[in-house]
Amino acid sequence: MQTNGYQGLEEHVGEVRLGLRAPSLAGLFEEAGVGLARLLAEEPPERHDERVSIELSAADVDALLVAWLDELIFRTETTGCVFDRFEFRRIAPAALEATALGGEPETWRTAVKAATFHGLRIEEGPHGYSASVVLDV
Amino acid sequence: MDPTEHSQVLPHRPPAREGLSRVGDVVYEIPRSWRPDMRVPARVYADAVLIEQIQRDRSLEQLANVATLPGVVDAVYGMPDMHEGYGFPVGGVAATDVEEGVISPGGIGFDINCGVRLLLSDLDHASVAEHIERVVHEISRAIPSGYGRSSRRPPLAYDELEQVLARGVPYVVRELGWGTEDDVDSTESNGCLPGASSSAVSQRALLRGASQLGTLGGGNHFLELQVVDHVYEPEAARQLGIRKGQLVVLIHTGSRGLGHQVCSDYVRTMDATMSRHHLTVPDRQLACAPFASPEGRRYFSAMAAAANFGFCNRQRITHQVREAFARVLGPNATLRLLYDVAHNTAKVERFDDRLLCVHRKGATRAHGPSAEGLPRACHGLGQPVMIPGSMGTASYALLGTDESAGLSFSSACHGAGRAMSRGAAKRAVPGHEVRHQLQSQGIVVRCVSNKELAEEAPLAYKDVERVVDVVHRAGLAKKLARMRPVGVVKG
Repeated sequence: MQTNGYQGLEEHVGEVRLGLRAPSLAGLFEEAGVGLARLLAEEPPERHDERVSIELSAADVDALLVAWLDELIFRTETTGCVFDRFEFRRIAPAALEATALGGEPETWRTAVKAATFHGLRIEEGPHGYSASVVLDV
Repeated sequence: MDPTEHSQVLPHRPPAREGLSRVGDVVYEIPRSWRPDMRVPARVYADAVLIEQIQRDRSLEQLANVATLPGVVDAVYGMPDMHEGYGFPVGGVAATDVEEGVISPGGIGFDINCGVRLLLSDLDHASVAEHIERVVHEISRAIPSGYGRSSRRPPLAYDELEQVLARGVPYVVRELGWGTEDDVDSTESNGCLPGASSSAVSQRALLRGASQLGTLGGGNHFLELQVVDHVYEPEAARQLGIRKGQLVVLIHTGSRGLGHQVCSDYVRTMDATMSRHHLTVPDRQLACAPFASPEGRRYFSAMAAAANFGFCNRQRITHQVREAFARVLGPNATLRLLYDVAHNTAKVERFDDRLLCVHRKGATRAHGPSAEGLPRACHGLGQPVMIPGSMGTASYALLGTDESAGLSFSSACHGAGRAMSRGAAKRAVPGHEVRHQLQSQGIVVRCVSNKELAEEAPLAYKDVERVVDVVHRAGLAKKLARMRPVGVVKG
């Protein structure tokens, strides 16, 4: 899925801040997943043999984004795979259903341990959605 | 949900640093009157250089936010290595009344019971210097380090893992043979926080932790071979078995993915339940629950369980280091545990007949000579406090003081504290240069990633000597010995 979105890493003392922009909420969550994957591994996995179904609910959309990233971090740590392709079946401010596809990376890059609420706020504007998320590394 | 339901919308307020004033030799304070929602003052132990560094990030604001927590008492404290964290600053201490106050996972941090232990050999470094590289090599082979690298051994069975969480170091020593009774005696809280319950720990946390017991992990975790190069308190050092020129081992790691998952789980839980308890906080990462509530009690049990995992992680690594030592230096090359301290925990402690939940995030307990429960070797001296420096710099051993009870809820700093982002550190010095600098100092380095070396370079951290000096001047703990590294195994 191409979101015409953006994800990038920004400076933060001690940890990593992921900057996100996308025209849609699903796109924002996809960019978050892709950004996390690029932080975890030097290169995208060559094969996407691992397929996981994810269903999440949260108190609000900010908490849902934290839960989404935490879910991907948990899946990576327990499967040894990096997930950078996503199919969203449903996404609402407080719930999502998605499938994540991933594979074993050639080289790991950064140990990401958790997503945080630190300074997090998802904002909706004329051009879509934006957010920045601090990740504990 | 409107995020303001989780935070008070306060009128614009000036930066916390504008409310800061020096109130002692190495003490600064933001008074309670600075913000209407502050319940106690915020005090920071620092000298002029460190307080200037502290003001470069938002840690002062965060400390002021901590002072708003329901049930917080006396004052909240910032250690001289304080820097911006999530909710609580790293290097922050806050105590809440267990009956009326809250417990906040942000006040412990993600890496529950990240901590340090110091092992003393009976060897002089000079007599074994030619073998250091082999020792470092053996240790790096025996102990997985780096992200996601699990133990090469099969993961613990769930029933064993549950025992680790519930019983801590006594279990792994007595049932699994990973140490001695002296290790139990020389670990904070005898290696087992009371109140731990594996039933409060999620299956996800168990899954993350099952294969990680006995692993260093990445980031700023490390294992160092060091030599004692200065003794400040000769008589105390002699009593503890510390001498100049002695080879020692410092281990810094925590509860790995298990602890991180526990923190994530309960921040999310409390974030969702705060409104039910009519709680609001100025920062969502300060999500909390009344200590006496089901959520509060359950988190405390899970936190204690994760802390016990952290103690056992360092104990298993100790066992593996002892085996590596013996393989290279012979069976008589022994390593005795001086002490193991936690620096991310919440503990129920009594101060002035009040039962308090003391949150220490990037801060170390520092009990004085009068405290109960100290190891036999420490009677009359105080609790050992180990302060690791950054790679290539000195580490310190200190002794807690009785005075620190009234100064910081018996707390001291935990390290040097970051002064620079990882990106800035990598731009300032390439990893291969850091490796070369360490090697030119005669330090054997085992780290697979030059990038991680750059991120953890000494210039990314505050001056540990200055940080420890402030702790000493403030009376929180007193300097005992200084150690310099001769070998590093880096995550």
